[in-house]
Amino acid sequence: MGEVILTMSGIDKSFPGVHALDHVDFELRRGEVHALMGENGAGKSTLMKVLTGIYSKDSGTITFEGKEVEYHNTHDAQEAGIVIVHQELNMVGDLTVAQNIFIGREFRKGFMIDDRRMIEESKKLFDELHINIDPRAKMSDLTVGKQQMCEIAKAISHKAKVIIFDEPSAALTEKEIDDLFAIIRDLRSQNLGIIYISHRMDEIKVITDRVTVMRDGTYVGTLITDECTKEDIINMMVGRVIYEEPKTHSMVPADAPVVLKVDHLNAGKMVQDVSFELRKGEILGFSGLMGAGRTETARALFGADPKQSGDIYINGEKVTINSPEDAVKHGIGYLSEDRKRYGIAVQKTITENSTLATLKEYMAGLFINKSTERAVTLQYIKELDTKTPGPDQLVVNLSGGNQQKVVIAKWLVRNCDILIFDEPTRGIDVGAKNEIYKLMNRLAAEGKSIIMISSEMTEILRMSDRIIVMCEGKKTGEIPIEEATQEAIMDKATRDIR
Amino acid sequence: MEKIKNNPIVKKLGFNRIILFLILLLMYGAFSVIIPGFASMARIMSILNYVYFLGFLALGVTFVIATGGIDFSIGPVMFCCALMSGYSLNTFGVPVVVALLMSIVIGMLFGCFNGYLVAFVGVPPFIVSMATMNIAKGLGSVFTKTQSVSWPQSNDPSGNGWFRNLVKVDGIPVGLIIFGIAIVILFIVMNNTRAGRYILCLGSNKEAVRLSGVNVRKWQMLAYVICGTMAGIAAIFFVSAYTTVQPGLGDTYNNEAIASCVMGGTSMGGGLASIGGTVIGVFVISLLQEGIMAMRMTKEVQMIITGLIVIVFVYADVSARRRRN
Amino acid sequence: MTKKKTIFSQEVIVAIVLVALYLIFRTISSDFGKYTTFLSMMDISYYYVLMAIGVAFPLITGGVDLSIGTGMICYALAGGFLIRNYNVPTGLAILVSILFGAAIGLCNGVLISILGLPPFLATLCNCMITRGLGSVVTGSFAVPWPTAKQDNGWFHSIFKITTANKTKIPLGLVWIILLMLLMQFILAHTRFGRYTIAIGSNKEAAMLSGINVRFYHVMVYVVSGLFAGLASIAYAAVIKTVQPGTGAGMELDAIGGAIVGGVSASGGYGTIYGTVIGAYVIIFLKQGLPYIGFNANMQQIITGLVLIGAVCIDIIKRKVIK
Repeated sequence: MGEVILTMSGIDKSFPGVHALDHVDFELRRGEVHALMGENGAGKSTLMKVLTGIYSKDSGTITFEGKEVEYHNTHDAQEAGIVIVHQELNMVGDLTVAQNIFIGREFRKGFMIDDRRMIEESKKLFDELHINIDPRAKMSDLTVGKQQMCEIAKAISHKAKVIIFDEPSAALTEKEIDDLFAIIRDLRSQNLGIIYISHRMDEIKVITDRVTVMRDGTYVGTLITDECTKEDIINMMVGRVIYEEPKTHSMVPADAPVVLKVDHLNAGKMVQDVSFELRKGEILGFSGLMGAGRTETARALFGADPKQSGDIYINGEKVTINSPEDAVKHGIGYLSEDRKRYGIAVQKTITENSTLATLKEYMAGLFINKSTERAVTLQYIKELDTKTPGPDQLVVNLSGGNQQKVVIAKWLVRNCDILIFDEPTRGIDVGAKNEIYKLMNRLAAEGKSIIMISSEMTEILRMSDRIIVMCEGKKTGEIPIEEATQEAIMDKATRDIR
Repeated sequence: MEKIKNNPIVKKLGFNRIILFLILLLMYGAFSVIIPGFASMARIMSILNYVYFLGFLALGVTFVIATGGIDFSIGPVMFCCALMSGYSLNTFGVPVVVALLMSIVIGMLFGCFNGYLVAFVGVPPFIVSMATMNIAKGLGSVFTKTQSVSWPQSNDPSGNGWFRNLVKVDGIPVGLIIFGIAIVILFIVMNNTRAGRYILCLGSNKEAVRLSGVNVRKWQMLAYVICGTMAGIAAIFFVSAYTTVQPGLGDTYNNEAIASCVMGGTSMGGGLASIGGTVIGVFVISLLQEGIMAMRMTKEVQMIITGLIVIVFVYADVSARRRRN
Repeated sequence: MTKKKTIFSQEVIVAIVLVALYLIFRTISSDFGKYTTFLSMMDISYYYVLMAIGVAFPLITGGVDLSIGTGMICYALAGGFLIRNYNVPTGLAILVSILFGAAIGLCNGVLISILGLPPFLATLCNCMITRGLGSVVTGSFAVPWPTAKQDNGWFHSIFKITTANKTKIPLGLVWIILLMLLMQFILAHTRFGRYTIAIGSNKEAAMLSGINVRFYHVMVYVVSGLFAGLASIAYAAVIKTVQPGTGAGMELDAIGGAIVGGVSASGGYGTIYGTVIGAYVIIFLKQGLPYIGFNANMQQIITGLVLIGAVCIDIIKRKVIK
């Protein structure tokens, strides 16, 4: 490890309703791989976005190569030598691989873009990284994994001094991850500073030199990887927060009837021959890596996306679900992973959102009976303990956790027996998380059946009665909670990845 | 200032709408001072004539804008309705009632066409508007063999002129009553029925409404059907007031209708709409039109002004949205 | 796979349609095959094609420019007005017309890219404003540009020249082809073109790649306005007397041409040669239908339907690929 190249100190950043970063400190040296860890929503990505100029900080200082700096956009940061490999892919689908890699800094001959040279340079770059991608291919024709490799190649091709990897391995196969680590070691030996954000403990141990842990937007501490154990890191990540005890045995009675049966469901590449059963009062966890096809399965089941084949039985009866309309008719409710896009109409009031799925029941002839509508909304505000001045509040003014409660209320008003919770606690602070967990347990105890999709291992182990693991669009395992361990799940989640 | 804004009555009526209403009064006062003889009953009747047809156009398009879409074919569609039904009345001798119904049905059919393409096929609204604008103009021209159409005068010996009573009987503005009833009905549709609720919610977040198990396509199409039907009704009020329609025209009214909506607080991004606001906007535009004419300036000056009005109000809306997010 | 796509690309299909249309019209109507018909059709085509080339750029970014039709008339009025009333040399007037177009384009660009207005709305407003401006500038009078025989009417020969033996040659077609090649080159091989596609395909990604998206997004509309300015010269050369208050609806034929020629209405893809071929398909329909016995007003309806048809094909194609 060399001298310090980058220091961030006292970084503070607030969004409406969320204190995303609370005086966070971070330090990076030349020639080190520095892991940045923390649960979802701990503020890792936000910190990196502040560093690369996507967000502006409220206070604090960033010192890079001995000078205090502030970047106003990614371009400034790139010019200075700080590049980021994003978690979400940022590719222009209609351009080719080479055109994407050199976008914003094309080689030119006079006015003309030198495409030939860009292709050659891309080839060289890929050769160095031992990646086999045709630089002339259209970006939208590549698989997600290959697009990710292009993104990495693009980041490396900048004359970078600091490279940030934001969960780069999430969509990669094991072989690709090995390649990635070879690349990272190579970059380290060239004395670059590397920030590596990941959830995967084993990766952290293999590739990083130091670990900085964040929790709820605060800096917890920094450890030297070789001198600490997994447990040390986990303790720092979880910290003072007291969660409910993990489940040790299923809460579902042995004779509970099967409410939902999905038989050989096929929908595109991401859902291949998926079958499972859901019992009354059960919380069925769906685990797997990003892009394993869990959300796609839920959406196909719910009729939100078209499916090719497969039968769905509800209470033993075969049903046809071709649209969300059909699904709701059969008592299925779906809480999307992306609330803002799929869950709520943000510019509308709590009342309007709560009765969206059941408006028909609040009609007095041609007109909406606004007083009963309001009464029901009030009842669920109370029941779910939604924090709001009143039912006429616009949803946009609520915090993430309370927005989630509005979506839950929508399905409870509908009295759905089958609820699909897709990443129910994403982007929600810890206190609200626990409330959502309690609520889910209560619903299950009341006899509702819940499918819970989650990428957080702890959440899966804490909530599920049974766990289904998916990988690359296939179901690869089904584990009763009694036998479930992180290792067992991870093993099945990566089973098909070669 | 904040105090006034938070007053419950002001909140109910909408602060911006109150301001717009005050602007309306101020404008009327200003015109009355600048232009001699502006404050007369005849002027008011003339303004009302403009209010009727523009009002129906603007109220209709409010529903489309509430879905987050746009329809700028309404002006030519209105003319097409007036041309085809008027030509049938004059040339084929269909009864007046049939001609009036025909006008409304033609408008409705245009609405169905636009709505189907937008909601079920997924063609961007502005493309549909552009195409429909030309189809309406072309259809009007072809049907009438490029002749202008004059609807019968009220004293027409055939007795066909009775429809003008819809606007005015012995100097009493009956049209205002009909317009008032239409406002009330559309206000209720927008705020107290499933159609209005779904239209507003899908304008705010279409995917969320679909995933709530609502047939969004149906409701989205309905907004365009309402808009087209209103254009058909607007045609009746247009010919009642102005008698003659020429083929190939009508697009100047698109912008005036859209301007009325955005002034009244309907957001181009969808999800927010105000029937009352649109009505005040219609009065402002109609007053402006009358004032400009009274000052012996051309229609073109008004086009420039309405263009600028739309730009200013939409910019205000866009930047307000940006601040909120 | 990729090879197959290029063989059956929309550009090729549209080119075949164009040839087929020409042959059909020729067989049905003997007048259609005459050289004079061809000449007059070329005359009319120039300003449509110029507008189409320009508007292809906003369309590829996923936007649109509705102000080109009335804009073109406005710029022609302004230039002609200067020649008639202030004896401004023709060359200077032409320059004013073109720069006026670029200025309105700049105005569109600022409204859309910097202030964040929806493209169709900003340009619809400028459609109204340019229509009004044209009338206000000229006091609502029609403006005749100098005729070909007058001293300052030399600009007519840009588009059509008469040889010694009195044959007329549509020189404009040469310029159109050269401009088409130039703009296709700019689209495919310069940063401006590349970023135009990037903005239409994934604006967010383009921004994160450090591209000055705002600047290029403005420039896209400047190009569109510039070409509307060029079109105004072609219009003045053919129509001779420019009437204020006209021009509405002409943008549809230009936009329709671009979309028929394979430019995606949702942005991200398009070619200039496709645009030009598509524009000629529309012009052939417009000009050819009366020859085979259709009412001249039918063309408006037909172009409207063709536009919707082309967009539907684009939508279906995208669905199938998915």
